[in-house]
Amino acid sequence: MNLDQALATYIAESRDLLGEMEDRLLHLEQDPLDGDAINALFRAVHTIKGSAGLFGLDYVVVFTHVVEHALDKVREGELTFDAELIAVMLSCRDHIDALIEHVSACGTVVPEGELPARGEALLDQLRQRLLTQASAGLPVDAESHRTAEVESCGREVSGDNWHISVRFGQDSLRNGMDPISFIRYLGTLGEVVSIVTLFENLPSFKDIDPEACYLGFEMSFKSAADKETIAGTFDFVRQDSLVRILPPHSKLSDYLSLIQMQDPASDPKLGDILVNCGTLTRQELHDALAFQQRTAADTEDHVAPPLGEILVGHRLVAEEAVNAALQKQQQIRENKARENLYIRVLADKLDHLINLVGELVIAGASANLLARRQGDKGLQEATSRVTHLVEDIRDQALQLRMVEIGDTFNRFRRVVRDVSLELGKEIELQIDGAETELDKTVVEQIGDPLLHLVRNAIDHGIEPATVRIAAGKPAKGTVSLNAYHDSGSIIIEVADDGGGLNRDKILKRAIERGIVTPEQNLDDRDIYNLIFEPGFSTVDQVTNLSGRGVGMDVVKRNITALSGSVELDSQLGAGSVVSIRLPLTLAIIDGFLVGVGGSFYVVPLDMVVECLELSAEERKSALERNYINLRGEVLPFLRLRDLFRENGKAGRRENIVVVQFSGRKAGFMVDELLGEFQTVIKPLGKLFVNLQGISGSTILGGGEVALILDVPALLQMAANKEMQVTAPFARAVATL
Amino acid sequence: MAKTIMIVDDSASLRQVVSMALEDAGYAVVEASDGKDALGKLDSHKINLIICDVNMPVMDGITFVKELKKLPNHKFTPVIMLTTETQDAKKQEGQAAGAKAWVIKPFQPAQMLQAVSKLILP
Repeated sequence: MNLDQALATYIAESRDLLGEMEDRLLHLEQDPLDGDAINALFRAVHTIKGSAGLFGLDYVVVFTHVVEHALDKVREGELTFDAELIAVMLSCRDHIDALIEHVSACGTVVPEGELPARGEALLDQLRQRLLTQASAGLPVDAESHRTAEVESCGREVSGDNWHISVRFGQDSLRNGMDPISFIRYLGTLGEVVSIVTLFENLPSFKDIDPEACYLGFEMSFKSAADKETIAGTFDFVRQDSLVRILPPHSKLSDYLSLIQMQDPASDPKLGDILVNCGTLTRQELHDALAFQQRTAADTEDHVAPPLGEILVGHRLVAEEAVNAALQKQQQIRENKARENLYIRVLADKLDHLINLVGELVIAGASANLLARRQGDKGLQEATSRVTHLVEDIRDQALQLRMVEIGDTFNRFRRVVRDVSLELGKEIELQIDGAETELDKTVVEQIGDPLLHLVRNAIDHGIEPATVRIAAGKPAKGTVSLNAYHDSGSIIIEVADDGGGLNRDKILKRAIERGIVTPEQNLDDRDIYNLIFEPGFSTVDQVTNLSGRGVGMDVVKRNITALSGSVELDSQLGAGSVVSIRLPLTLAIIDGFLVGVGGSFYVVPLDMVVECLELSAEERKSALERNYINLRGEVLPFLRLRDLFRENGKAGRRENIVVVQFSGRKAGFMVDELLGEFQTVIKPLGKLFVNLQGISGSTILGGGEVALILDVPALLQMAANKEMQVTAPFARAVATL
Repeated sequence: MAKTIMIVDDSASLRQVVSMALEDAGYAVVEASDGKDALGKLDSHKINLIICDVNMPVMDGITFVKELKKLPNHKFTPVIMLTTETQDAKKQEGQAAGAKAWVIKPFQPAQMLQAVSKLILP
């Protein structure tokens, strides 16, 4: 792997981490004390910083370092998340994002101009925040004073020596344990370079218990012995005393490299990694785990602090070592997860594969046809087996392009947060069906229309809190995103529990704008969907969010470009739902082949409900009208022969293919039913853009062209015809 | 003046081996064969450390330590308990009684010296 590839991996990895950062920050906004989220946040920044160092991206390191430092303070409880800090952190996240973009564009070239200036401004904010909270924060009591003191002597003696802190238990002397003997024993393992005796626990003279031990020691100890041996010195006093042994710096780097070199079992425990590299003794681990369990039992929700925090907090292990071990642990898990689950492949390769599979499907169909003509049973069997396999390969190949829509949905958390803050509305985003899979192309292109719909829902849909309360609704509005499968399509819904659309207002505006005429007979649904017409806008006031020249018509156009459709349903006072219906895939579909006259047509199989053969009697009565009686139900139908002006001789029989789409049903009258057919969709040329009722073409095994029916458009046509026939009747009934 | 260690164990051979090792290291040694024997010998010497087996006839180690801790002159004398891997409960009991140090049987003389040297130097 060369450096460029590694850098690409770094960029991709950082983007993932930034995504996680955003999620965690938004979560922390709700629950500022969630330790898991804080840790995850810290790790994300830490990882970005760490790897940036490897690539020499100093400008990334400099910025992330301060962010990391601040997060560390949060982790230690010295700084707490409030709205302001979250906002600063979100901006920092965005800045890191910008830096990563810069990395991907310019590599290690240090950015100039606005970017570093903005970074510096953010860092100033962060530093200020660190200062104010630190001074205004904790009361300066004896406790904090002491830790500070200990820390300072810890620094002083650190050098390249071990640092040993011992606080002897009060019973030590009574148990015959003389502190001096332990220190002397240490002398047999190495050299006690310096020693500070701590008396701060010594009570005033009248309270003193002459048999009790009040002493503590901070020692700087030079030795080649390992931690286990040094810790062994204090075996006999460990029970009552506090013993902390920190390794020298050189040792620390040894530990870090040992941690890096470890290749432990599949799911290593943090403690094991630290014990294996020697920075933690088994006994210390044992004690820390016991402490963790006790803490869990003591707290109400039985959540214990993570082991790493305990180890650092009790000064058992240097923080660097814990971080390195955590990183290692995560790395092992991630590697494992990635190894098992993902291979990154160029999208082009996949497209090429799918094209080839398309050709394979056509070639297979042609081989099938030839085999049938030859009448050779063996050959037919062989080709049918090949056909089955090709079908499987097709499905698998298409599956490769499928990605979950969850990531796209999650991006809207930020949008909802920002927009609702801007508008001063309190809004919750609810996400369902995040695991629903869609073609990658579709997922990439659905983002913008969705963004517009979500903004619209917040801006126009959700009412101000006062209005909501007056209407008896909760002050907090809800916008929900939902995705699910429905008969061969994917439905994405953007719903809000806002005021809903005003039917009359829309109709009035549409008439004003000349989109419809007052005479047109429209049902509520049709009226709501008028807002997708070009040149329509009911907003009385141009807000910052809408009125940018992008209307709902653009949303509709984008979705239509993806061979999808969009519909809106609404209830005044209760909210609106915009449903986007998208095809599962844009490349190959299962089709149902029918013959009309001398031509072939393909109906997408997902929409086919059943096929009927018309009896002679029905044929006769069907001649006069455009509907039949389907088990007591009125089924409008279209004669494809008439519709497409087919001239060929009519077949002996006539069949009806019943199709269903988005709640509507209709029949297509055809001559021949030819059965299932794998349809590789070929787009129609520009010449046919205005052709109604046809969505594409495909090539049959024998080389003939078959046209793919645009079922939604045809259904609309059938419904219109039905209206023409039944409307006078309905009117007649109404006037009775 | 050399520090004096009392070793209390019912096995004469163990006492011998440990005594030799300790004496070589510069300590003086007093031997006793059980808890009762040991209690009787306490005042004839200035004892700095006691090494004491858990399982002994007449008076076992735990009882001995409890008795020892009642004596004003000896209650602060450190005690090393000799336990076995399987006797963790005994070790806890001994620690509760006041014998905070331990050496696990079977042990090499060097291990005993190490444990002793953590507590007193010759």
